[in-house]
Amino acid sequence: MKNEITLQTRREFLRRTVLGSSLAWTVPAFLADTFSALQAEAADSATQIVTGKDAPILVVLQMAGGNDGLNTVVPYANDFYHNARPKIGLKAEDVLKIDDSIGLHGAMKGFKELYDGGQLSIIQGVGYPNPNRSHFRSTEIWQTASDSDRVEKYGWVGRYFDNACPGADPAVGVVIGNQLPESFFAAQPKGIVFNNPQNYRFMANGTATEESYKKLNELEMSSPLPDGGPSMTPDDNSGGSIAMLPAGMPMTGGRAVDFITRTALDAQHSSDEVRAIAARVQNQAVYPGSQLGGSLKLVAKLIGGGLPTRIYYVSQGGYDTHTNQVNSQQRLLGDLGDSVKAFTDDLKAQGNMSRVLVMTFSEFGRRVSENANGGTDHGAAAPMFIVGDKVKAGLLGHYPGLAPEDLFQGDIKYNVDFRSVYAGVLENWLKTPSAPILGRQFTPLPVV
Amino acid sequence: MLKALSSDQWNYAAAAHLLNRAGFGGAPDEIEKLADLGPDQAVSHLLDYEYIHDATTDPDWAKPNPEELRQFREAVKNAATPEDKKKIQQQQQQLIQRRMQELRGWWLQRMARGPRPFQEKMVLFWHGHFATSFEKVRNPYYMWRQNELFRRLATGNWQELLADAGKDPAMLVWLDQAQSRKDHPNENFAREVMELFSLGEGHYTEHDITEAARALTGWSLEPLGQKYIYRPFFHDNGDKTIFGRTGNFDGDDFIALIVEQPQAARFITSKIWNYFAGQEPSPELNEALAGVFRAGGNNFKPFLRVMFRSEEFYSPDIVRNQVKSPVQWLINSVRVLECDLPPTLVSYGMLRQLGQDLFAPPNVKGWDGGVTWITTNTLLARYNDAQALVEGQLPPLTAGDFARKEGGAGGEKAMKIFQRVRMGGVDVEKILTPEQRASKPTIVAALEHRLFQATLNSEQEQTLREFLDSKTQLSDADIITTIRLMMSTPEYQVT
Repeated sequence: MKNEITLQTRREFLRRTVLGSSLAWTVPAFLADTFSALQAEAADSATQIVTGKDAPILVVLQMAGGNDGLNTVVPYANDFYHNARPKIGLKAEDVLKIDDSIGLHGAMKGFKELYDGGQLSIIQGVGYPNPNRSHFRSTEIWQTASDSDRVEKYGWVGRYFDNACPGADPAVGVVIGNQLPESFFAAQPKGIVFNNPQNYRFMANGTATEESYKKLNELEMSSPLPDGGPSMTPDDNSGGSIAMLPAGMPMTGGRAVDFITRTALDAQHSSDEVRAIAARVQNQAVYPGSQLGGSLKLVAKLIGGGLPTRIYYVSQGGYDTHTNQVNSQQRLLGDLGDSVKAFTDDLKAQGNMSRVLVMTFSEFGRRVSENANGGTDHGAAAPMFIVGDKVKAGLLGHYPGLAPEDLFQGDIKYNVDFRSVYAGVLENWLKTPSAPILGRQFTPLPVV
Repeated sequence: MLKALSSDQWNYAAAAHLLNRAGFGGAPDEIEKLADLGPDQAVSHLLDYEYIHDATTDPDWAKPNPEELRQFREAVKNAATPEDKKKIQQQQQQLIQRRMQELRGWWLQRMARGPRPFQEKMVLFWHGHFATSFEKVRNPYYMWRQNELFRRLATGNWQELLADAGKDPAMLVWLDQAQSRKDHPNENFAREVMELFSLGEGHYTEHDITEAARALTGWSLEPLGQKYIYRPFFHDNGDKTIFGRTGNFDGDDFIALIVEQPQAARFITSKIWNYFAGQEPSPELNEALAGVFRAGGNNFKPFLRVMFRSEEFYSPDIVRNQVKSPVQWLINSVRVLECDLPPTLVSYGMLRQLGQDLFAPPNVKGWDGGVTWITTNTLLARYNDAQALVEGQLPPLTAGDFARKEGGAGGEKAMKIFQRVRMGGVDVEKILTPEQRASKPTIVAALEHRLFQATLNSEQEQTLREFLDSKTQLSDADIITTIRLMMSTPEYQVT
């Protein structure tokens, strides 16, 4: 049954808030593939009516620490490259050749298979103007899709939820981890966070305790709860404004306990569902025993189990290779390739591969020249990977120049703004206008 | 604005609010004592902590130790093989990690059991404000030293604190000031001191940063002595123009120029109000707060006294409307339940999983705080950690998390240590009198009074009474589970 609920206005939605959303938690329709979307008033606001089963899914994969792009997509025939990296440079025999000048790091057999199968797109030289070399700041720039001299309050995924998925199930965003990444920060926070389905629950010493916990955490019907939670502030992108809040609501938008009550309900409900799916769905591929492998294994189960999720978020750390880079990057990229390959095999066996896109990012690449410790220091532009059945496979863009005159302060110059990649994913994959989410119109890179 | 709360509005609830915010909360008798003191004396009791003797002793390694450093360097240099060298370095890392763990426990004990809760609450504020991470500093002595600096100047003078924090070794390393030279001034500290510590974005120019970085050259670190040193040779003696003023400024001049800016008072008073009141002040309130701060010579103590006495601080919009930080959650729980702080290994594991890794804030901005403390995962973890605290058993989540992080054999070893750990748990006799224990409604009421200093809604109270009704013979374990259930509510996560 396709039961699309279209609300006329945000005001009406808010009028229904507590009752409406708490009912949505309990009616069986919620457990099926349908969830509601809000017909936003603003003409330019992105609106999306989606139905669970066939809707596209994006998996964002963070390679934390700043992956060395040069030793990932390797310009093995380039003399500038070898001059800059006498110790750690990879030679022709070390790489998985893509053409007569570029090859993938030898550990990335999984990615090479995907490449050969037309399921991998490599976007070369991705970055942004005035790059920042701080992990924190550059990660924040990628997470919020901001200009490098601007600090944004909300993340790009959060703004996608605000704009395109109002009224959606909180599991519209799933983070495998412990903390909500900054990209999920939103005017109307959505997204559930957990790292281990077995532990993602209220641990009770007896059924009476469990029952009592559930009752204690039921939404208090008498205290109205604005959808935005306590941090709601006027925001052009939010699709609603403070003026639409119920009368008498303070400008700060409700009490902290209301937000926690909402989260408690999200936790209670999603915990049952996540554990049920994790117990029911079997993986059909063998994953590496790494943290990333475990995360993707879980995501595959959740997709197979039909969780109404648009965006999954997983991460892999360890790319900050200032010293002895060769061994650690070998291990990390091998893990990345094998984990993602297992994930795609699993999804293919499930019959879900065509609805899933994986996008990698890292806060920056590294300097062109190796340092004195067999490693590399913080740099700028680097490649991104996109994996899926429908990707525009192959090399996108062109390899950035490595000649001294092509560099800026020893760093690779970007030739694709990462927000063009986001725009491409938002518009061509998630089918939503990107300008309200990214703050302005970037030319969408045709990634699919 | 900022009129003093009248004495007839002072009561148990107001005293509880003060103790919760200016400290970490406390048991009912502690709150009653404050309530009896009246507002002036209650505030003074917390703020004028200089008169309270604190017998805490320093960790034995908390001093400069050039000899230890020299020996380590020597040993690395003289290592016979690369394997030996690696082993020596590993041993050094283990020593550093042990000391960090000791430092975390040392500070948590001061918060949980120390006689000066307000001072520790200020230290926690300054730690989040000057957010410095061990992950880069890598030196337990420096981290301790900075913590002590925050304690020494917790309610002191703004200019002195800014300058001293800037010259302290942890900060010199954290924001690279130690590497700044006349020829290549490093702008990191110059930028952050204005953006994050004192003025906020939009209140200085890029040119101010460049010039300030020149003024700051010469602030340096003596690595062997492990202390600040001024190196005239590094200092740029030319004229600099900062905030439109020109002169041969040095670092101290620059800090003085910052504090002269009216925005400096607005910025720090807004942040302090937010920390204690749980939300940003309105522009009018911020102006009033900044006015009081300036009138008091940019000293924190007189400003804080006015703030904690003000009507605004006790408004319904403020009371019980702040999300407890993980540290507040843990220390408050231990204090209201009158139980022991779990062993550091466990406390640290809990805090890290709840998102507040002491001595390792996520970045130089510090913790975002507020509702960002709460995710579905951290909320369930709080509910489950509550069980560990009250029952004195280990939190399964923390153990698993720890094992995963360590991986392989290290993880199993950690699990084994975890399984051996015993924690105090709650002693029911301590927190319920026989009269309170006599009936189910009085049990619920007494526990509400202790845990919330407020009542839950009637359906929640009903649920708790029904839970107790389901037990034929009320055991201590049932009451302990009731406490855990009360801690497993949205209401317990706010203060």
